[in-house]
Order: sequence, then C-alpha cells, then structure tokens
Amino acid sequence: MTTVQTEGTTTLQKGAVGQSVPRKEDRRLVQGQGTFFDDVKRHGMGYVHFLRSPYAHARIVSIDVSAALELPGVYGTLTGDEVAILTDPFFQIAAEPGGSVKDYALAVGKVRYIGEPVVAVVAETRELARDASELVMVDFEPLDVVVDARKALEDGAPVLHEEAGGNVSYTGVWEWGDVDKAFAEADHVVKISELHFERFNSTPLELDGALVEYNRGTGQWTITTNNQFPGFAAIMMAPALRVGTDKLRLVTQDIGGGFGNKITTHPQLVALCLLARKLGRAVQWTEWRTDFHQSMSHGNERWFLDTEVAVMADGTMTGFRSRALDDAGAYLRYEPLGGVIWSQVAPGMYSWRNLRLDFTQVLTNKAPCSPNRGYSRMQHLWFTERIIDIVAHELGFDRVELRKKNYVQPEQMPYETPNGCVYDSGDYPKALDLVLDLIGYDAIEERREEAASRGKLLGFGIGSTLDSGTNNFGQSQLVNPELQFSGNNEVATAKLDIFGEIVVTLGTTPQGQSHETTAAQVVADILGCDVDMVHVRAGHDSYWNSHAGFSGTYASQFAVTGLGAVKGATEELARQMKTLASMVFQCSVEDIELADGFARMKENHEAALPFMALGAIPNANNAGFPIDPPPMNARFVFRPQFQVPDKDTKFGNLTLTYSMQIHACVLEVDPETGVYELVDYAAVDDCGMRVNPKIVEGQVMGATAHAIGAAMFEVFAYDDEGNLLTPNFYDYHVPHTLDMPPLKTAAIESPSPFTPLGTKGMGEGGGGGIHCIGAALQDALRASGGAIVTSSHNPYHRVWEMLRHPERSREKVEVKG
Amino acid sequence: MLLREVSYARPASVEEAVTLLSEHDGARALAGGQTLVNVMKQRAASPDVLVDLAGLDELRSISVSGTTLEIGAMATLASIIRSSEVEVSRPILAEVAATVADVQVRNRGTLGGNICVNDPTNHFPPLLVALGASMTIRNAGGERTVSAEEFFVGVFETAVGEGDLLTRIDVPAGGKGVGDGMAGVTLGAHGTYVSNAAATVVDGGWRIALGCVAAVPHRASAVEEKLSGADVDEATVRAAVDGLGATLDPPSDVHASADYRRSLAETSTVRAVMQAAEKARG
Amino acid sequence: MSTTPVTEMVVTVAVNGTTYEREVPARRLLVHFLRDDLDLTGTHIGCDTGSCGACTVHLNGVPVKSCAVLAVQADGAAVTTVEGLSEEELTPLQQSFSDHHALQCGYCTPGMLMSAAALLEETPSPTEDEVKVALQGNICRCTGYWNIVEAVVAAGKGGA
Repeated sequence: MTTVQTEGTTTLQKGAVGQSVPRKEDRRLVQGQGTFFDDVKRHGMGYVHFLRSPYAHARIVSIDVSAALELPGVYGTLTGDEVAILTDPFFQIAAEPGGSVKDYALAVGKVRYIGEPVVAVVAETRELARDASELVMVDFEPLDVVVDARKALEDGAPVLHEEAGGNVSYTGVWEWGDVDKAFAEADHVVKISELHFERFNSTPLELDGALVEYNRGTGQWTITTNNQFPGFAAIMMAPALRVGTDKLRLVTQDIGGGFGNKITTHPQLVALCLLARKLGRAVQWTEWRTDFHQSMSHGNERWFLDTEVAVMADGTMTGFRSRALDDAGAYLRYEPLGGVIWSQVAPGMYSWRNLRLDFTQVLTNKAPCSPNRGYSRMQHLWFTERIIDIVAHELGFDRVELRKKNYVQPEQMPYETPNGCVYDSGDYPKALDLVLDLIGYDAIEERREEAASRGKLLGFGIGSTLDSGTNNFGQSQLVNPELQFSGNNEVATAKLDIFGEIVVTLGTTPQGQSHETTAAQVVADILGCDVDMVHVRAGHDSYWNSHAGFSGTYASQFAVTGLGAVKGATEELARQMKTLASMVFQCSVEDIELADGFARMKENHEAALPFMALGAIPNANNAGFPIDPPPMNARFVFRPQFQVPDKDTKFGNLTLTYSMQIHACVLEVDPETGVYELVDYAAVDDCGMRVNPKIVEGQVMGATAHAIGAAMFEVFAYDDEGNLLTPNFYDYHVPHTLDMPPLKTAAIESPSPFTPLGTKGMGEGGGGGIHCIGAALQDALRASGGAIVTSSHNPYHRVWEMLRHPERSREKVEVKG
Repeated sequence: MLLREVSYARPASVEEAVTLLSEHDGARALAGGQTLVNVMKQRAASPDVLVDLAGLDELRSISVSGTTLEIGAMATLASIIRSSEVEVSRPILAEVAATVADVQVRNRGTLGGNICVNDPTNHFPPLLVALGASMTIRNAGGERTVSAEEFFVGVFETAVGEGDLLTRIDVPAGGKGVGDGMAGVTLGAHGTYVSNAAATVVDGGWRIALGCVAAVPHRASAVEEKLSGADVDEATVRAAVDGLGATLDPPSDVHASADYRRSLAETSTVRAVMQAAEKARG
Repeated sequence: MSTTPVTEMVVTVAVNGTTYEREVPARRLLVHFLRDDLDLTGTHIGCDTGSCGACTVHLNGVPVKSCAVLAVQADGAAVTTVEGLSEEELTPLQQSFSDHHALQCGYCTPGMLMSAAALLEETPSPTEDEVKVALQGNICRCTGYWNIVEAVVAAGKGGA
C-alpha cells in the first residue's frame, strides 16, 4: 500500500537518526495510559459550562444568574461585566482599524457569533453545570447579521466592532516585480473572476479544555491544558490578567491532535483563571464538539477576486494580480497574521517574478478563525494551483509540462522569491515525475476509456504544494509596523541525573508529532548511546524554564527549531561530559569520545566512565577537583538567523525552510448524480533529511486525509442568520476508514542548507489533496461540459451543479489574446 | 452534551413495560439508545421516564411463521445481519442493515428503534413500506397491527403513541418472482442518506418507496403503475421514472438542494428498481 | 429492576474483571461513569452525537459506543475497556499498532483497539475490507487510517 523510496543523502552519520525507530509515546498510549487534560482531577474541582450566544449578532441587554446560583451544587458564575472590570482587553496583533477591536474572555456588551461564550457556570458535576446554565437569563437585542465577507465590505453593512469603525481588520497591497509590464507584454491574459477557498478545519478528536488551579498564597495559576502554543497563550493572557507571565504555569502532556486549532483558547483560559481565583477551587472545562465547531479555530476562508494571469505563448507564466478577501470571523485572535503568512509562498512553486495581491481581511458574524493545518499558505497555494490548472485547461497546454516549465528549477536553489523569501532546496520536476510514476500516469487515458465503458467520468489531477516552516515572526511587522515581534526560538534542556539517566525537556507541545522519539534519536547519536537510554519528558511545563516566547508546536517547525534546540543542548551536554571525563582521566578533551554508553579515551577503551559516574560526580561527589566539574546540565535556545523584513517593500526572508509535497489522484464521477470516488492516490514528500521516515510518512498520510475531507465532505457552512449548518460530526462528515482511497507514498530528501540537521519542518503539508482533487474533477468534467473548478470544497451536490450548468463556472473564466 | 434529569426503569416483562409507558406521562421506550440517548444529550428531547426494554428477550426473536418473517422490535441490526432466517427469507433486510452507520451502532441499534424514530433519512422506513411490512403495537388495551404506510404518520411521528409499545415487525417472506432493491446516495460510505429509494417486485407488481423527500416514506404510485406487469429494461424504467422528481417537494439543506434531491430521487428509484428486477429474475 | 422509575440507583458492573458497585444518576452516560466515577480514563470522548467512536468499549463482549449507553443500562453487565486489554505486556494487537505507526496523538487509539480486538476475536485473520468495516465507527484525524488498517491485518496474521 505504501512504498518509500529515499533519494539523496542525510547530513548526519547513520545512527538512530534516519531510522524508523519505534515510538516512545506508544507504550502508554496503546494502554490508555496517556494523560490528556480531562484525565486529571483535583479534589473539590468545579465543572464549567459556558452558556453561549444563540444570536449571531446582538446587544446583551441584561444577564441574571440568580436562579442558577440557587441550584444546589452550583459554585458560582462569571459574566462579561466582571471580566471587563477584572481584565484588560486582549492584545491585538492588528494595526488600526483592527487594533481597536476589543476582545475579552467573555462577551462584553455584545455577542458577535452564535456560540460565543456569554456566561460561565461552575458546579459540582458536569450535569449540574449544564442544568444551571439553563437557569441563567440573558436578554438579547438582536442586530442585523453579516455572514458574507463580500457584503461585510459594503456601505451600510452591520458593523461588528464599532470601535474599529467598520469590518475591515487589515488591508494592504503586496506587489513585487513589474506587474504592469508583465501584463503589457503578455501573449495571453487569463482572467478568473472568482475563486473561493472555503471554511473548514482539522477537527482534532480531543476537544479543547483545561483544569485551572489558583494558589492564593503565591498568586500562581497552574493551567493543565492542551493549548498547543503556550508561548503565545502566556503573552496574550498575562497582560489581560494584569500579571507577569511567570504567574501562568502552562502544563501539557498528551494532546489529542492540534493542527493549529488549539492555539486560540486563551479567552476561555482567562475565564477559568478568574473563576479559580473567585471561587477558591480548581475549575475544569471540557469543550463539547458542537461548541468547538461553532466557536473555535475555523480555517481562513478566502476569496480571490478578479484574478488575471499573464502568460507567454510558450506557456511561461510571468505574473498574476488578484484581490484576496479573507474572512476572519468575529474576532481576530491570531489574525491578521494570515494577511502576511501567505506571502511565505507568494509565487507558490512557480518562477514568475511579477506578482500583485490586494489583501483585505474582514470580520463577519461567524466563528473566529485561527491557524488551521497549512495556515494561510494552503489557501494561497491552492490559488496558484488553480491558476496553473485553469491556464492549462483554457490555453491547451499539457498540465504536467506546464508545471515543469514554470516550476522553480533545482539548479536555482536556494531560490530567492520576488519578495525575498528563500526556498532552501528541492527538485520539483523530479518529485512530479516520481508521483506520476507512482500513480501510473502513462495508463491514465486507458483507464479513462475503461471507466467510460462503465458510464463513469474518470479524472486525473495534480496538486503541488509547499510547506514553509520555521517562521520569522518579524513578518508580523508587515501587517502592523508597531509590533515588537521578530525571529523565532525554541528551547531544550538536556542533563544527566545522579544515576546517569539522560533527561531531556522540550519547550514544545506535541499533539502526535512524535517529539519524544525524534528528540531521543538526535540525542542518542550525539551521546553515543541507545535511544532507549534517552528519556524525553512528555509534554510541556512552563514552570521550569524550558521554554521561550515562541515555544509550542505549530507551523511546521519542530524538526528545525525543536531539534535544533535539542541538538544544541545535547552537544553542550556532550562537551561537558567529555570535559569531565578528561578531568578524571587527566587527558585533553580531544582524547575523549562518547560511544556505546560510555565516555572513554579514544586510544584506550578500558578508560571509560559510564554515564552513571558522570552524573554522580557533579551532583553528589564533587570534592577534590581543582576546577568545577561541569554540571552535566545544559539549556539551549535555538535561534534561526533572520532579519526583520523591509516594511516598505514587504521584502525579506519570512521562513527558514520549504518542504514540498506533490499529490496526484484518480477519481471517477457518476455523471448522473455527481457522486465521485477516489480510486487511486499518490503523494511524494520532500522534507529534507528525515529523522524518522515512518513518522514523516505518517504526517503525509494525515495531511492527505485532512485534504480529502476538506475537498469532498467538510465545510463550515452558514445560513443568512449566522447559524452554522454543520455543528457536529453528524452533518460535518469527516472521512472514515471506508472513505479512504488506496495510497502510495514516496519520499525525496533534499537537505536544507540552512538548518542544524538538514531537516525541514513538515507536519502541515500544504493541502495538496485539495489541489489535486479539484484538478481531477475539472479533468473529469472536460468530457461533460468543461466546468471550471473554482471552489476548494467540492461535495457531490457541487459536482452535480457543474455537470448540469457548466456555463455558470465557465462564465468566471475569460481568455484575452 | 449531557442529559437532563430522568427516571429509569427496567421492566422484566412486556406487560410491565406497557404499564409503565401508560402510567407515566412523558415516558419513552429505550431500545438501543443510539438515537434516543444522543437526542437526549442534545436536550432536543427530554422524556421524564425511560422504560428500558433490554430485559424483554421475547422482543428479540427472529422467526419464520408460515410465509411471514417475524422480527421482534428489539432485534438488533447485528442480529438481523447474522440471522439465517433473514438470510433465507428476506435477505435485503440484512444487506441494508449492514450499511447502517458502523459496528458499534449495529450492536445496539434495533429495527424497532430505527423505524420508531421515523427520521426521513433512516434506512428502514422506506424499505419496510416497499416490502409491505406490518407492525404490531401493544398497549394497556390490547394489541393492534398496522400496515407500514399507516405506521409512518408524520414528522418524527409514528402510530406508536403515548402508552404504546411496538413489539413486532412482520415482513412477507420472499421467494420466486420476488425481488428487492435499495439504492441511494449517502454522505460518505455507510453515511447518512441524502436520497434513497426501496423497490420490491412480486410477480410483476411493484411497490416503490422513497425516503429523504418527505416526513414519511413516499410511495411512487405513478411509477408503480407504469411498471406493473411490464418488461423491465433500463429504458422502460427510466421512462417510467421520468417526471417523478417534479412531483416531489423535498427539503433543501447544506447537503443537497431541493432540485438535487429531486434528481437523485429519480436516479435512486431507477437503480432500486433495476436491482429488484435483477433479483426477481433469480 | 423495580417497576418504580428512579432517578438514581446503585449499579453493579464488572469492569475489566473487577466488580464495582456505585450509586449513579440515571442520566449519567456510561463513558462518564467509567472516566469520572471509576477513574478509568483510557476511554475518551471526541464528540456529542455518538459519531466518533473514541468512547468504544466492550459491553457483554461486543463493541459499543459508551457515550450512547447510560451507566444504568450497564447494571449487571460486563464491560471491558482499553485498560483491560493487557496486563504487563502489550498484546500482539497493541504491539502491531506501534510497529505500524498506527497512532500519532493516541486519542482515538483506545477506541480503535477495542473495535479491532472485537473483530479479531470473531475473525482471527481479517481481510483489509473486513478491518475497514470493523473500524468504520472510529474516527481518526491524525493517521488517515492506512497504518491502522495495516496494523490490524498484520495482527490478524499472527503478528506478521
């Protein structure tokens, strides 16, 4: 079912790194012994239920909690009025006008989306908290609702945040090269009036939540949670709570999936902090599936309007211009970073030099957006893949040759894009050939005929995509020049305990990415020991200084930042170990090597100290040394080399590494019903040096499954009143086992020249499946009307529409010249 | 989500169950719970009393009596799939049961529960109408039997009223000259139906019932008449079904527009009929 | 089993071979009983519509979603949870999951194991299709299922 072919070299010697070492995490997880936040209990803890807004837009006239408080077993409540007194509004990333948005832990004065938390109720049991919330009386005065981003821009549209003056949170023009010239000189101009990347997210199986305790004596909160970016959460929460970040101890262990969707829980966490302090007891909140769908972390919905593509007669694409309209939902949380992050991949995988994107982001009465697997790059890469597919379709070019011609070529690597990003390495044409081989491209036309004999329309599609990793947070200054964020970092510590155990801590918060295992592989190779000897602490705990401002697991960077920190800490520990051994054996440090679990003299393996001895000396037996024995304890902060980008030209390197995936699929459409089935699928991944190939493949598979879901089944659709029509797994169908196609995978390794291990971050993927399924549908429909795929989401009913009325989509495309 | 407070009883006999259902206002029978417990979690329905039928083994039996397949209302979908009586007598029931949701749901979900919910997207209401099944309902006053058409009354409403308990579903046994088919479109494999149609032919006479288009299964009588006694080839079937969609008034929702459902209704009907015709040929 | 409906009752349930007697509200879901009353937190909750299967346990030997069963319905029954699959050593099925990288975050894994274990009891050497049908009621968002299916098939062939 899968094949893995490795080409290219690894930059480290062959040891544990590069092997598909079995996972350390598995033992506890297959026994149901993982510790997810909801597994943790505290004596006397209260269970929290959030009463949520039934209106998409309304003024809160009054709140009466008295009846709820009278119910036996209810410990207390929290309302927006209290929150507005006890906390300051959350810091806004946006400059004006978005910067004026006021965002609190509970709705203050107004509600702006259905599902917005309004009142928190705490009770002795989960059921009682739920019962009590039904006794809370909230009086709302409904207001007009706006759910369409295009309408949110119109004069007279309902305004969500009056302080912001309108619904625009960010707007900016991004232009590089000489766009006018490119269009003037173009042989063809292909116009696409509308492309729509729809709203969905990754619906991690574990919901959000936390157990929060407050220590009255020290003013310290302990937050046991599954937030995947504690660095960001602390930065948002501390000023709101008017405390220093050290008062917020963020603890995670096992997290049931994140995919970016567990980054913006800080409003609920602040509410819990206030409650824990107010009630003098631990409080526990577990989100419901419906609450998550209605209120948390929708992926950016983005329109690309009035796109024009400049194409030469030979198929060279020289540039594009377009208007992007991004729908952020009702609050900005992590936005408007989506307004710049796409520019990490501004040209996609293509070598055109003349690009212009007018980017506007608006607020609407829908759930707030936050990063979702492929955050903001996926939307833009889908846009570039739609372009090349439509250009090929309309101008009669071969879609494989057109890609190869326009791809950034391997000899151009490292490649500086028009906006100063540097694609570190990769061979896109080779990857494309590999995926075509895997899927059996040569036999496609034969398969098409065979499918036609069964009454089916066969389609073949390619989706090429990038996964840019290790952010330069300086790009935030391109949407708000006043921001003081730049660069990136991650922390690791490595030590020998008294008995010589190797203990490693990470600043990261893995949600399935196998950090304990891959970190142990790197450590084992540096210290010359078995992976089994390396103990990596599960999870994150901010109390013990093993983190920095950007710590967390997000944005495809662990293999660079996390492992870079691990490498740095372990190399420092190794240096200390060799130094101590040299002190004991009275030789020079260069005479010592770490191998087979010992620190020993290279020339005389009998002179060897086990790690236990090394650990014991500084900890328990340190007399007699003229100079201090090294402590066997190292902390390393990995900092990738970045500059602050130029704010005027919006030029600079925004990400350190660029992984790549090319997906291909074959599908069959039932022309009578629009129902279609994926019958074959292949994906090729290049993430540089692979620390653990099986784990890398697992990430590729997961990204593929998410993309298939988004393309075929998953959408957060709203009606005009702001009701989410897919608020649970009943209507929001995600793929199950029987929905998955056969899959072949392969890997190429093009090491990154910029990273400590030659690795590139790779977990997100880039939505390759969305791109290739759309392309395959368009290919299938050639034989029946030639509809153009203009939406990222193509459920059966949309395919049926495209079969019935191909002219409606064809109207959106025009070729000049 | 979490249930409101509820009272619970597990009677040991059908008589006791019926007594409980009639004595307590707002009492509901709890069969497999795959729908009811989930509905109660959402607090969309909150009966005051749950009468758990789990102890009523007599309601689980599956047997053949003469030319009738008698299925106890508490027979789980899993037991229907495994049943040799069903396999011999009317296998379409097992084939369809095997496509409902998943193993866990089928281990608990019952045939009686599936039809008492009368969710327009459920598998069994249209199938049982097409098969010409009948349902036996007991209450404090005695027992009565209704036809499948009479059973499905309205929006999530059946002939099982206050104080009533569905005890048995009777399905005519199949045999020579009998063919059954069911076709449709689901949201993902084994998912919720967006459109479905069940068709049965018995010696050239047709019964065709559509789900997903109205509150109750819709008999496509005009199509039945056109097909009656006819030679069934695809062209004839398509001609007979043509125009069916225009007579329907199906709902529009996030999964399908009314027009799409009209079109799918026709396609599902053609396919169900073709399946049944092929089965009848043997 | 009285004829008077009650809002609370004492349930006697054998879980993983140990018999527990607890008073529970009639409305308590079996999954919450297991997690909160018995501290068996290996069984997980991932949805509120009985769709995801993270809560799958064996009730009298067959896999069911414990979020769609009331604790009172389990009175007198035997329940097996993921904690009851193994003692000190991993079972071949659990080992196969690890060997085939059939878990990433591990949240769906207990439910997957319970469904797979039930299948292997009934069908010791299942085909790929049989495994897919058996796991159709268990959602995973991390793996895409391919490795999970492979792991169960491999476990079926005696751990090949």
